[in-house]
Amino acid sequence: MRGGAALPHAVLGVAVLAATLVGACADRAEPRFPHRAHLAELDCGAPGKPYCLDCNSCHAVSKSDRAHKLPAAATCARCHGGDTRKVLAVFETKPERASGALRFDHDRHLAMPTVQGQCVPCHAGVVEPRRSTLPPMSQCLSCHEHEEQFRAGVCVPCHVQADMERTVPQTFLRHDQGFVRRHGQLALQEKRVCGSCHAEAQCDGCHDVSQDVGIERRRPDRIEEEFVHRRDFMVRHSIEAEAQPARCARCHTVDTCDSCHVARGVSGNRAGSRSPHPPGWVGTNAGSKSFHGREARRDIVSCASCHEQGPATNCIRCHKVGGFGGNPHPRGWKSGGSESSGMCGYCHG
Amino acid sequence: MKARSTTTVCAALGLILASRRAAAEPATNGKVARPDHFDLSVHGEMYGELFRRALLPGPSGSIVEADTVAPLYEYLSLRAQDIDAPWRPDSVDVELAAWGRAWLGEHETEGPLDGDVQTANVRYRHGPLALRLGRQHAAGGAARYVRFDGVTLAVSLGAGFEAEGYGGFTVLPRWNARPGYHLLGAAADSLLRDPDALPAPERSGYRLAGGRFGWASAQGQWTLSFHEQDEPLGLARRDAGFDGRVFVRDNVTVGAACLLDLDAERVQDARLWVDATPASALDVSVEALHVEPALFLSRQSVLSVFSTDAYEEAGGSGVLRINDHFALEGGGWMELYDEDRRGARGEFGTRMLPGTGKRTVVRLVYARVLAIDNGYHSLRASLSRRIVPALTATVEAYGYLYDDPIRDRATSEIYGGTLSYQATRALSLMWGASLADSPYASLDAQTIVRVAYDFDFSTRRAGR
Repeated sequence: MRGGAALPHAVLGVAVLAATLVGACADRAEPRFPHRAHLAELDCGAPGKPYCLDCNSCHAVSKSDRAHKLPAAATCARCHGGDTRKVLAVFETKPERASGALRFDHDRHLAMPTVQGQCVPCHAGVVEPRRSTLPPMSQCLSCHEHEEQFRAGVCVPCHVQADMERTVPQTFLRHDQGFVRRHGQLALQEKRVCGSCHAEAQCDGCHDVSQDVGIERRRPDRIEEEFVHRRDFMVRHSIEAEAQPARCARCHTVDTCDSCHVARGVSGNRAGSRSPHPPGWVGTNAGSKSFHGREARRDIVSCASCHEQGPATNCIRCHKVGGFGGNPHPRGWKSGGSESSGMCGYCHG
Repeated sequence: MKARSTTTVCAALGLILASRRAAAEPATNGKVARPDHFDLSVHGEMYGELFRRALLPGPSGSIVEADTVAPLYEYLSLRAQDIDAPWRPDSVDVELAAWGRAWLGEHETEGPLDGDVQTANVRYRHGPLALRLGRQHAAGGAARYVRFDGVTLAVSLGAGFEAEGYGGFTVLPRWNARPGYHLLGAAADSLLRDPDALPAPERSGYRLAGGRFGWASAQGQWTLSFHEQDEPLGLARRDAGFDGRVFVRDNVTVGAACLLDLDAERVQDARLWVDATPASALDVSVEALHVEPALFLSRQSVLSVFSTDAYEEAGGSGVLRINDHFALEGGGWMELYDEDRRGARGEFGTRMLPGTGKRTVVRLVYARVLAIDNGYHSLRASLSRRIVPALTATVEAYGYLYDDPIRDRATSEIYGGTLSYQATRALSLMWGASLADSPYASLDAQTIVRVAYDFDFSTRRAGR
């Protein structure tokens, strides 16, 4: 380790960590309209006091509305006089629509006997500062059951399809703790549900390893995402590959590894490169702790990431029938191919 | 391959244009034409990079001169849904995704232009049937993940049963392979005694077929799947899969999956898992896994015949959301290899969203990995901050401490940051940069600029 370089790097690391914590602590709440003060805490109704407000005093929603129908300045001015700049500035902060625009008929819902024109049962967040002013999807499904639509992956009657790709499920279909490990199975069993939000191209964004710029380089700003190959991947990849043999092979073919290793001169397929193997790796000393056969049995995929030259692989030179490397097939090995067909023929032919 | 892709792309675009034209034309037979209600999303991203690089060491260990290169990338994806077919409304979907690259600097090892079509298919739905034609993928179960040019037919059989079959030509990594590179590196650099022993770069004979049959209900699901893939020399893999899960309670799911290599007659991958949400603020997941690595290689790989060893893995992870602004995450896994050798890994971290509106996101994660020959401690700190509604910055730092030095280096550090500007609803810009100091590069400096264009159109949205 180069001690001279370590100190400034450590200082830089501490500075980034400190900035992270300061940034977290320094955050202030975005301005939000004081609904509670207007709806629940206003000294009103008595003689000489202003009249009491309800939702309809300021908002006039109907099925033709796509937004939350903010009041005009004149509405505020009725009580606040002409100084409405501060109030109106709050309206610049729109509530976050996690599911995009929804097709919702306010008139019809407000007329229902169970709702009785009340807004707060659905929009309880307007008077509770820590909750969103918009109801979660579970609020909708407390009355509406959509089991069949869920099965069929039909979201369009309520959601706008074009918004679905940007929607992160919060209550239903939530991608929870086991999701990343489980998503392959879900893609098999819930194909239509997945397809209601995700295009196939989104799968390719991670799984298509032939694209030049991987998803991690294209999305370095997504610190929330659990990308496999984050920007620190290079410095840990050899240990990760050793810890979980075959994990790389679930997505990558072996030439994916070697095309990079060759380009960087760390592959046996590049003339002049250094051998990564320790002394005693090959030869007649099969009892050596570093003998290659033992490692090859444990993690043959790592071997293949450099030594996969088809019939020209150097394994064949020693392990073909009659070769001094002996029979390489371990106990339990089996293949339905004939000895003269395909790759088998290069050893057995 | 190129002709197949081009045909599919042209057919897909033609269908969309025809649909748009049909929607715009008034009815001529006196009836009121029903407008075509469809959704169209288009996403484009352009990346520009500028860097110097050197392939070290060069042939026979020589030092090569550094190249200055400026690759320019364009990624484009398009998705149209619920297009009317002349005989059936809302029955056609179209997907297209492709990328292209141009080298604007010195380029001895790459061609000046490169690119690929990732997805290009048309889906037609008719009652319980769905037919997809073009470049697509099969995912999960025995297929694992594979892209192909071909056809998929899916049918919903009622009572929760579904079946699907697919077949076609395997998509090879590129239609425009890197000149001079063959299989594993440049043939001229190969240590092979006789490079001519390598077969000619054959790109035909890569075929695949498969299918699945499954059942689903509110209590659980199971799926049987089959996948066979051939290479020019013969069978690459022939696998059968089982995937099942049972919803034991509203908040507990138990699942199992097994992948069987039918040629080797051995279990390639088997897992048993439980996902639970014991409290609304707590997600827990535990899993046991059995893997035989050699079976992930093609049956035409010479190396696939050298091993039948497997390893076991068990562990779990969880997230505790203390409130809307603070969550703890953690997990630990143990691996048991042959000859009683062991490995382990674990991580623990926090995720903080102080304030309201998710303006700030902070992540701090510590991880520990113990592999057979080496291991590491790592610490990650990430901050994302929306400075003003249109401007967001992120900064990240990673530190690694290896148990055994790699190339005489015991530590690695990586620093990165981005600045993103949402110019309009459709247009966004991002600049990113990173610095790394590691055993693999004494200094790795990268920068990237992204211009992203996001366009969506919905006839339904316009009509509301």
